[in-house]
Amino acid sequence: MQAAGRVLDAGLKLLDRQLIDSQGMLAGKVDDLELTPSEDDPKVLYVTAILAGPGALAGRLGGRLGHLLERVSNRLRDTAEDRPARVPFGVVKRIGSAVDLWVAKEHLETDRVEQWARQTIIAKLPGAGDAPQ
Amino acid sequence: MKNLVQVALGVLTAIGGFVDIGDIVASTATGARFGLALAWVLVVGTTGIMIFAEMAGRVAAISGRPVFDLVRERLGAGMGLANLLASFFITLLTLAAEIGGVALAIELATSVNYLLWVPLVGIVVWVVVWRLPFETMDNTFGLIGLALVVFLFAIWRLHPDWAGLAHSALHPTVPQGEGHPTYWYFAIALLGSAMSPYEVFFFSSGAVEQRWTRRDLIINRTNVLIGFPLGGLLALALMCTAAIVLQPQGVDPSHLSQAALPVSLAFGKLGLALALIGIFACTFGAALETCLSCGYTVAQYFGWQWGKFVKPAQAPRFHVVVLLSILAGTLLVLTTIDPIQLTEYSIVLAAAALPLTYLPVLLVANDRDYMGDKVNSGASNLLATVYLLLLLVVSVATIPLLVVTKAGG
Amino acid sequence: MTLLLLLVVSGCTGPVRSSGVYESKAANTARKTASAVATAELAVQAATHDRTFGRTAAQTLAETARDAGDVQGIFDSIQPPDRRSDQLRSQLDDLLQPAVSTLEDLRTAARRGDVESMARIAAPLEKLAGELQDFDEAHR
Repeated sequence: MQAAGRVLDAGLKLLDRQLIDSQGMLAGKVDDLELTPSEDDPKVLYVTAILAGPGALAGRLGGRLGHLLERVSNRLRDTAEDRPARVPFGVVKRIGSAVDLWVAKEHLETDRVEQWARQTIIAKLPGAGDAPQ
Repeated sequence: MKNLVQVALGVLTAIGGFVDIGDIVASTATGARFGLALAWVLVVGTTGIMIFAEMAGRVAAISGRPVFDLVRERLGAGMGLANLLASFFITLLTLAAEIGGVALAIELATSVNYLLWVPLVGIVVWVVVWRLPFETMDNTFGLIGLALVVFLFAIWRLHPDWAGLAHSALHPTVPQGEGHPTYWYFAIALLGSAMSPYEVFFFSSGAVEQRWTRRDLIINRTNVLIGFPLGGLLALALMCTAAIVLQPQGVDPSHLSQAALPVSLAFGKLGLALALIGIFACTFGAALETCLSCGYTVAQYFGWQWGKFVKPAQAPRFHVVVLLSILAGTLLVLTTIDPIQLTEYSIVLAAAALPLTYLPVLLVANDRDYMGDKVNSGASNLLATVYLLLLLVVSVATIPLLVVTKAGG
Repeated sequence: MTLLLLLVVSGCTGPVRSSGVYESKAANTARKTASAVATAELAVQAATHDRTFGRTAAQTLAETARDAGDVQGIFDSIQPPDRRSDQLRSQLDDLLQPAVSTLEDLRTAARRGDVESMARIAAPLEKLAGELQDFDEAHR
């Protein structure tokens, strides 16, 4: 568990990094960060969560690319939820070249679309559950 | 012993899998119109992809991540997305061209209209990608693609003027009746066909699919240093046979049938059968590579689980992208656009986008965070940078030349 | 988008302004037809020496016939701008007509697998190809 208040350059070391869950599976990228002002000094911000998903990414990109991404992702969403998927920073185990997590991806909000894709399309095809040879 | 078999298999697969419909069209057309005056471009292109494929393979083996996966981290989300859009679009075009190529190969063997084969090809491509394990798929079509070596033997059989061929290759001149802009347009198309972006995505993701580690660096080097040049030799053979048979007759090839004619004349039915099998295998293999690359690029940008090394149910969005890409490619071919023209556009646009693909490879291969002590040497950096400058020049020149020459018409 | 427009415009047919442009289009037409004729020659050579499959030869000859027909059709749809171009057109038509009809006959013979007829029908092709190439070079 990272010590509370570790300082690092979030832009270089955190954003756009790969999230890897406890099973070694890929769980999305750090699309954006949720920053919460500290209680003592409002000018000091803590990263309280990682935000993932096209909504989060679109917000950060801005400009034409961001709008494009947002329009595409809005069409594909199956939930009415407005806010992007949130990975509380507490589940972050290690920050290296990728961000390792303590939990399996099924427990994360970011897995919603993946599960939807699995149920709606892939599960209907024969052999979807077969182990890779 | 087992290791030796593995290495040999890798090399043979690299040779047979090097050529795709883009190489066939570019090499044959260039040979027919310019003789061997553009053979040097094949040398430049093959060397280029060797340098960068070795880097991409090394990145995958050491960091466990393919290059495109790291594009976003290195270049940022915005640049990464622009890169994704361009790369995905071009790879999708190439996928459509390959599907068209497979259908054309079957048409040439059966005389049944290629459009009737296209949906079947699309379905079979998907079924193979869905069911066959990665290595089986890669090796099978790579090995069968070796049938193209018949083009190499055909050169001898056709009793060419060796001195003339050598002179034309070593002293490139623009033939009578062709303009200089057209010469350079074909040069760019040839380069695009040799250094196609999807080959880098596929090679580097494939290294992760096959779980390469530090110990596999030797296999990486061997595949690249032996397999790729020999693969390039096959493309050169296509150019040579066209130069020997088609050029003197004034044939400007726009059909697959014309590419196969020289082998037919040299070796008869057996040679023709091998040529058709080889063309089928390499275009089908390339269709598999491009549709997987469509999936790789999208999934790796967004960080989704990807790959055939996990159960399909564990990488659903990746497989959805692959499926939709095959569907889109198939539909594009079904619009009855000429598959050969589609191929020409795909290789030319690929040439314009080459810096987008290759710059990240160079950047990542130099990053100690990912590479540790296996970063690029100064020499390979120098060589790679020279290539990147060349690719930038090519990229800038592509669209103007396309317009001026009316697509080489 | 602009690129697409440019490409479409460059392929347009209709009246042509100058006789120079018409002449180069005529030369181009001759060149493309010569290519189809030469391909057919090679295909017939392969067929008569039993060096190709019947279906492959049929496919190849179907393509050459179609290509020559298409090229002739496009050229005929361009209006000659002056009398000199008119003369050029009838000169070229004298070459295109036999080329297209020979290639169509070859296509039919190949579909039937009639190899003996193919050799006979293809006899004038060599001379035709030469004449078309000469036309191309003279008017390039």
